[in-house]
Amino acid sequence: MGTQNLQPPVVQFAQLDKLLAIGRANSLWPMTFGLACCAIEMMATGASRFDLARFGAEVFRPSPRQCDVMIVAGTISKKMAPAVETLYDQMPEPKWVIAMGNCAISGGPFVFDGQYGIVEGAEKLFPVDVFIPGCPPRPEALIEGILELEEKVTGSRRFPRVEVA
Amino acid sequence: MEQQSLLDLLYVAAFFLGGLVFAVGPFIIALLLASRSTRNTRQKTTQLIECGMEPIGDAWIRFGAVYYLYALMFLAFAVDILYLFPVALVYNRVFAIRDFIEIVIFVGILALAVVYAWNKGVFTWERKTYSHR
Repeated sequence: MGTQNLQPPVVQFAQLDKLLAIGRANSLWPMTFGLACCAIEMMATGASRFDLARFGAEVFRPSPRQCDVMIVAGTISKKMAPAVETLYDQMPEPKWVIAMGNCAISGGPFVFDGQYGIVEGAEKLFPVDVFIPGCPPRPEALIEGILELEEKVTGSRRFPRVEVA
Repeated sequence: MEQQSLLDLLYVAAFFLGGLVFAVGPFIIALLLASRSTRNTRQKTTQLIECGMEPIGDAWIRFGAVYYLYALMFLAFAVDILYLFPVALVYNRVFAIRDFIEIVIFVGILALAVVYAWNKGVFTWERKTYSHR
């Protein structure tokens, strides 16, 4: 394993950090990166009907150097795991990870005794901030996940929480 | 007078400094505010970006320059057609046969370029590089 403890920046001010956190939370840049069928839902979320742009998180970046959020959308096969880990390494701080769908959370339907091909959850590879359950999760669920992440970054929720009747 | 020129010089220096701060400042701010390390899992933070895969070979190789000659030929004829538009506008305004002959001469001379390129083997698709580094 690599390093998991972070060297803080040279200059730190509490108020400035809060300001930066607001800026970061409202312009999260996810990575253009899909592993399986959850990625289809992620694309739908980015497209016009569900319009992730309303929450400032529509700028899907093709380069990990420009990304804030890695949405692990799909099954991580053991063959793909090194690539996913490398992408995580290449993202600059601050970075967050969203595990989207049951496969990215725990391996989903592919977990059984003696399975040999699947990494059972993204958190086996690197720290995960938000888990979005579903198989696959609806685009609304991904949006809610992004909002949860915003809340985690800033400490307060910008959009009203949807009440389940 | 002496005072005035000195003042002008100071203005120039001030604007120069302002421009320098404007250009270099963001780098310094980013350097101070950014984290000094990034969390990683496989010590591959500094690896070249290759979609997570191991990069194969060197990026500094010599590419085959076959297509560019072909593109140059295309460019010559794109511009050629550009010159035909005004001709099409004034065509048959005085004397159609004379216009036609002029176009034939013009395109004919330009067509010699194709004959030349053909002779030089531009249209045979062969790699013209001989060695990788």
